[in-house]
Amino acid sequence: MWLPLIGLALGIAVGLLLDWRVPQEYSSYLSIALLAGLDTIFGGIRSYLERTFNVRIFMSGFFFNTLFAAGLAFLGAFLGIDLYLAAIVAFGVRLFNNLAVIRRIILSKWINQG
Amino acid sequence: MLAKNRKITLILSLISAIIGVMLAIQLKSNLQPVKSESRSIAELRATLQKELEKHKSLLADISKYNQLIYQYETSLDEGESISVMKEELARTRKLAGLESLEGAGAVVRIVDAPLPANTADSALESGQDAAGVYPNAVIDEDLRWLANILFANGAKAVSINGHRLIATTAIRNVGEDIQIDTKTIKPPYEIRALGDPEVLISGMKLEGVEENFKLTGKTLMIEKRDKLIIPAYNETRVIQYMKPVKTKGEQ
Repeated sequence: MWLPLIGLALGIAVGLLLDWRVPQEYSSYLSIALLAGLDTIFGGIRSYLERTFNVRIFMSGFFFNTLFAAGLAFLGAFLGIDLYLAAIVAFGVRLFNNLAVIRRIILSKWINQG
Repeated sequence: MLAKNRKITLILSLISAIIGVMLAIQLKSNLQPVKSESRSIAELRATLQKELEKHKSLLADISKYNQLIYQYETSLDEGESISVMKEELARTRKLAGLESLEGAGAVVRIVDAPLPANTADSALESGQDAAGVYPNAVIDEDLRWLANILFANGAKAVSINGHRLIATTAIRNVGEDIQIDTKTIKPPYEIRALGDPEVLISGMKLEGVEENFKLTGKTLMIEKRDKLIIPAYNETRVIQYMKPVKTKGEQ
């Protein structure tokens, strides 16, 4: 269970060490991809807790969500529509939803245990 | 189930690592002090316009102050050159005899010698007698000679009966009288000279001025003066028939 957290720390360390910088104009795409990634992670945790976790769904969800989020944002910028905002709102809502569900599941588990 | 769980954990870790990398990159990109310009183009344009106007006004200020500096400098120069010119003019006027001067000098009075043998009457008669031609009279040549001696002995300015001698002064007999330039002078003659009194007096003595005037029945009363005033030349002079020669350097 601690492995994902270690993975996260490792990823951050690698990212800091690699010293990559995203150009200013692509920063928003990365941020939206990041948001999608976080959403997928939390969705994964949620489904894990709900015992409906499917590796394939999770994997495909992660990659497709991030890529589509970034792609849509790019398309929106290209067309002059702020799809970027739509993605942020959608992912944000889902993120909080997932967090709420996770919290509730953990809470109910804790109460049941108690 | 355990194997599957481990696999899931592994994948989660992997994805977490990817997320971590993305997070780090995003963090770094945002922490960079490159301040993103959040203002709109119109706003930027307005700001640019304002700054340009400021720049312009500052430039105008600079040119104004430069001009001021230039003015001050030129006025300074003019002031200096005017004072130099004034000094030069004053010096030239002094040398040309257009200024009253004062200083140490000598006064020579040519008076009739007291005739020890004769009475005043006979003196008068003898004067008259000797002829209508005034044999005892001082003539222009005597005065010219005296003035020349004075100048030769370093007189800086000479006047005869209040008439200043200048470079173009002529002393001549006109009828019975002597004219200095256009002014007639009458005896007794008083000649004033600025210069070293000792030198002037000894110079006159050396030339035998007194003896010479004694021959015409005159006595010289020579006085040293510490403070002597010589008047300015007071006739008008016209600049005619003369032009300064221009040298190449002055053109």
